[in-house]
Formats: sequence, C-alpha cells, structure tokens
Amino acid sequence: MAGPIEQFEIKELGGKLFNLGGYDISFTNSALFMGAAVATITGILWLASRRAEMVPGRLQSVGEMWYGMIRGMVDNVLGEDGKPFFPLVFSLFSFVLMANMLGMFPYFFTVTSHVIVTVAMAFFVIGLVIAVGLYKHGLGWFSLFWPAGNINFFMKAFIAIIEVISFLSRPISLGLRLFGNMLAGHIVLKVFAGFVVSLSALGFGGALSAIAPMAMAVALTALEFLVAFLQAFVFAILTCVYLNDALHTHH
Amino acid sequence: MAEPRKPDASKTKPELGEFSDRLKNLSDRIASEKAERKEAEKPAAGFQGAKDYSKGYRLASEFVAGVLVGGLLGFGLDKLFGTLPLFLIVLLLFGFAAGIVNMSRAANRSQPSPEELAKMPKPSALDDEED
Repeated sequence: MAGPIEQFEIKELGGKLFNLGGYDISFTNSALFMGAAVATITGILWLASRRAEMVPGRLQSVGEMWYGMIRGMVDNVLGEDGKPFFPLVFSLFSFVLMANMLGMFPYFFTVTSHVIVTVAMAFFVIGLVIAVGLYKHGLGWFSLFWPAGNINFFMKAFIAIIEVISFLSRPISLGLRLFGNMLAGHIVLKVFAGFVVSLSALGFGGALSAIAPMAMAVALTALEFLVAFLQAFVFAILTCVYLNDALHTHH
Repeated sequence: MAEPRKPDASKTKPELGEFSDRLKNLSDRIASEKAERKEAEKPAAGFQGAKDYSKGYRLASEFVAGVLVGGLLGFGLDKLFGTLPLFLIVLLLFGFAAGIVNMSRAANRSQPSPEELAKMPKPSALDDEED
C-alpha cells in the first residue's frame, strides 16, 4: 500500500528531457496540474461568459458570484485605488482554489502541497507590496516601520526591529499556511483511508471495525473541501490586506 | 414585512371573521416560513469547524513565521560577521516578539468571512453595469 507521503512525489513525465543553463526544466506532474488548473479556470469562465443573458443560467451565476466575491473583497479592503490589483487578486484566488480543488480528486496531484509553490506566490505578493509602496510613497514608505508617538529613541529602535521582522515574516506565514493546510489535510486523509484498507484485510471483524475510519475519512473529505476553499479565500484577502499597507500607509 | 399588517388583522370587523381568520393563517404561515429560511441560511456546523480550524492555523503560522524569520536573520548575520551564537540568540528573541505582535494583530484584525462579504454592499461599479 502506498505511504501517506508518496502522493506528494514529483515525477518527471516523459523523463528528464529539458536542460536549460544547468537547470532541470522537465515537465513534471506538478507542472501538469498547474496547467490543468489554469485550463479549468479558463474553460469554466469562458463557458460562463460565452452567452451572457439578462437572467443568468447556472454556469453564468457561478461566474458572476466568483467575480463578484473577489470584486467586493478588493473594493472593500483596498477601496478605489485597488482597481489595478483586481486581476492579480482574482488570478491568485482562482489558481489557488482550482489547484486545491483538483487535488481533492483521487490520484490527482495537489500543486499547493509543495512549499516552493506557495512561498513563491507569497514572495511575489510581498515583493509587489514593497514595489508599490516605494513607487507610491518613495523612501518615506519605510516610515511604516518607525513607530509614531512620544517615546524614547531606543524604545523606538527596538520596536522598529520587531516591526521589520514582523513584516518579513508575512510571506513566510502566508505561504506556510496554505502549504501546511493542504499537506496536513492530505496526509491525514491518506492515513485514515489506509486504516480502512489494512483493517479490512484482517477478515470479517476487521472489515466491520473499518467502518469507523471510513466514516472519519468521509467527514475529513468534506472538511478538506471547505479548507480548500477557505485557504484560497484567506490567501486572496491577505494579499489585499498587505497591498493595503502599501497603498495607504497610516503610520 | 408582516409586522405592519398585524394591527389591521386584529382590527377587522366581526362580519369579516372568515377573512381575518384567513389573514391570520397567512401571517402564521409567513412567520414559520421565515423561521425555516433563517434556519436554512445558518452556516453548517462543518463550515464553522473549518473556519475555526483555519483561524487557529492562521495564528499558529503567524507566530512560527516570526520566530523562523528572526532565527534565519540572526543566523545570516552571524555567518556574515563570524559571531555565531550572538545575533542568532538576540534575533531569535526579537523574532519571538515579532511573532507575538503578528499573532495579536491577526487576532484583532477582524477578517471578513465569505458570508460577511456576501452581505456587504455590492460595489458600485457592478451596479452601474446593470443599468
């Protein structure tokens, strides 16, 4: 029986084919499912917006809710100047959501269960935050880290160090959270499903007691679907919250 | 909706007895329908569980990230200056403080949930497109 970690293995499809400047750029199962996620999003949204009607059908309603939810989020968190960032937030949300959801199919690979994918996205977001902050406010943006108020200089320096570390920890926590949720969920699911298989191999009594882990696996599957959606949502809203720091510096 | 009509129903004249009964029937049915709908709109228990789980995970990851970044920064500075345990220890402590700050901020920032976002006023741009 496959171990709980084997599902996260990266496999080169079609062998090690490509080599670009010393980097191995083989087409892996991870790349395949990234492509599948993008293709699914594009397909759904294309079908949903193909025939726009006054009274939306089912698919069109899904597309409108999808768009309206992210649009509402960007408008509420970022306000009027957030409009240029809507496509980015929408893409991030859709990609993470679809990668998580595709991962819920048996035998499918979960792209977001690899820390490099989620942390790369998180670092891109924070890089953008820094770039936008410097572009909008110039070097004065760094005053974000300098506490205001009438306190001792050394105390301010002390707090500034903590603020800088706190800021630098954002991409780590943003990426680790998504990665950790997906990894932990899929491992637990696999472990409980594994109990069912190994218990039912023990004959009738074993098969009877396998009902308990089976029920657990079913409940966990439902929970994982919710986590898949919520984590995509949290990723998107935290992107908005962090971008808000760059756009509207309050300190 | 049914509230402002209620006084009318009780004030009806005796000769309209049958109608006032029917009116009362209707308002009872509306009330029970409303209660049912409210029950159905409540988020399922599983959804609440997943939300609590994600909130707990969020706080934990904020804290861990703070300590991790502090430790890494300290280790990097030590490698740079060759003072191995010094900056590692100091910045690990700073990282701990940053983790606590992160966590308290994350707990205070009331993040709108999907349901709350749905209830928020629709963005004006979307309304304009309908006209």
